[in-house]
Amino acid sequence: MINKETTKMTLAAGAATIAIAQTDSAALDKTLETLKTYDWGADRQALKPIDQAIIATHDDAAARRALEKSLVDTLAGGISRSAQDYVCRKLRIVGTARSVEALAALLAAEETSHITRYALERIPNKKAAKAMRDALPKVSRKLKPGIIGSLGSRRDKKSIKVFSKLLGDSDIQVAKAAAQSLGLIGTSAAAKELSKFAKKASANMKLPVADASLVCAERLLADGEKSEAVALYKEFKGDDKPAHVKAAAMKGILTAATKK
Amino acid sequence: MANQKSKPTKDHSRFHGRRTFLKATAASVVLPYLIPASAMGKDGNTAPSNRIVMAGIGIGNMGRGDLGSFLGRGDVQYVAVCDVRKGARNGAMNRVNEKYSNKDCKVYNDFREIMVRDDIDAVHCATPDHWHAIIVIEACRNGKDIYCQKPETKTLREGKLMIGAARRYSRVVSGGSQRVLGDYRKTVDPCWNGDKGIIKSINVNVGPLPMDCNKKGEPIPEGFDWDRWLGPAPWAPYHPHRCSGSYSINGESWRSFRDYSGGGMTDWGAHHFGGATFAIDVRELEPEEVIFHNENGRKFATCRYPNGRLIHHNYPDRGNLEVEGTNEKGPSKPVPRYAGSGGIYGDFIDCVKTRRRPFRDIEYAVHTTTVCHLFLIAYELERSLKWDTVKQQFVNDDEANRLVDVARREPWVI
Repeated sequence: MINKETTKMTLAAGAATIAIAQTDSAALDKTLETLKTYDWGADRQALKPIDQAIIATHDDAAARRALEKSLVDTLAGGISRSAQDYVCRKLRIVGTARSVEALAALLAAEETSHITRYALERIPNKKAAKAMRDALPKVSRKLKPGIIGSLGSRRDKKSIKVFSKLLGDSDIQVAKAAAQSLGLIGTSAAAKELSKFAKKASANMKLPVADASLVCAERLLADGEKSEAVALYKEFKGDDKPAHVKAAAMKGILTAATKK
Repeated sequence: MANQKSKPTKDHSRFHGRRTFLKATAASVVLPYLIPASAMGKDGNTAPSNRIVMAGIGIGNMGRGDLGSFLGRGDVQYVAVCDVRKGARNGAMNRVNEKYSNKDCKVYNDFREIMVRDDIDAVHCATPDHWHAIIVIEACRNGKDIYCQKPETKTLREGKLMIGAARRYSRVVSGGSQRVLGDYRKTVDPCWNGDKGIIKSINVNVGPLPMDCNKKGEPIPEGFDWDRWLGPAPWAPYHPHRCSGSYSINGESWRSFRDYSGGGMTDWGAHHFGGATFAIDVRELEPEEVIFHNENGRKFATCRYPNGRLIHHNYPDRGNLEVEGTNEKGPSKPVPRYAGSGGIYGDFIDCVKTRRRPFRDIEYAVHTTTVCHLFLIAYELERSLKWDTVKQQFVNDDEANRLVDVARREPWVI
């Protein structure tokens, strides 16, 4: 499977180099087999050839594809939680759109949801974001904040409407994550949703929404949306706001005033 | 702090709540004559109403030391402690109560309950590193000043978010390396005095790199909230080595493992690189490049700053904090010092009162840990990288950009 592909890892030609590459390839195949029975307590050093292959294949697209495929196949083939943990960590670095399906299949399970996001959040391909958006309505309340946070850290604009609805979720962790992520996305559309919700926010959501709105205003200001940023700041400068929120809003307004 | 407040707002005055709390505390002391004169502000001591009201989060190991340093100050009043280990939090509570001869110190397993207490002005955080960003940002969000142990960040992305929160709410956020000013005077002073001439580089020898932990699970000790100890880190079975606060980085302490620490690179690195950035005066800058060297299997690396100055890591045959300069006498400039009295702790408290930035302001602390993280990523990928200090991204390196942050375990989000 990976032997011929991985042989390509070696950039230099010549019999000696190929021989080394074949040795590495054999070690890699053996390590991938090891992964199938790898579990907590096993020697982590036994997986070292995979770590090394990640470095060695950086400039070799074909070898990298083969390595990714091997990891994905191993993940999909049913392995221990410890092995899943390891594979997801590696797919965080080498994963592409080709890894998404196998990762997405583990997103809804409590045991694997986070470690799956460990890879998905950091894979820049848009299919990774879509997999998390698609999973969000299906997963338990316990898992939702994590997925929301991962999409927020990617500033995923397509999540704005869903996050807006989740602002009113009865689970405070879900609602707070939605607010925080809208702030991070930081667009006009996100600002509108935060502003709309702020007026009806329950007592325990007032501060999270205020904080998210201030973060959102900073993003807008950085993106040159000065008037929208100021409008958002003004909503939080009233005497009914906590002193530090009010001060932050006033500071934002002053910053905007001095910004060209 | 009570004597610096503005007029309390109707619903959200932490000062109003604090006064109520202190009033209740005073009322709870049955015999007024048992209150020492010092506690009433006599004999040159600070009256309770003018003390900085504090809480400690993570009060085993380093937290125990931090607690002792703050607790020994007459201008600080501890009212709460938080730890996921029942024994640690109860021990800290007893210590605080003994200090004040009362039973007012509250204990918490969940730090968020401290954050919403409006009577608390400032907190100190000495949890393992993977919690720092969440706690610092939450403190700022709730209008609290915070002293955070080093290394302040676990990832590159966390740093800018922590600085952002501090600046947004005008909070005093101090990093926690007491060694930056305390231990490296022999290196710092010649650089600032002009004795080294034009500075070219400094070398730091530190390690090891963090490792993965695959230890098999053992029964969780009674009174230990393991899930909360893990917090944003990937789930893993309990093992005493995973969470041991031992200062050794030998595979038997959380400082050894990637999920909770950057290994020696960030642990001692926060001190040494902090001293290095101070000595060569690049505290306000971030490197724009990290150069990975592999000379016959000997790996080392160099960070280059926009002004051309270099910080080497493990440069062959160079000593720790060895400075390379032109060595002709140059202009001298005053070496920054702590404010107040009592070292880094006194500096923090003084800044809480004056609203100035502390010596280890979070921005300087983050710039230090940024150096550590850049080195870690270069070593992990074994290649040189260019760092865009404005975008906070690696230039044309999609793979390296994936390592700028990690996904956090639910429900933790930053």
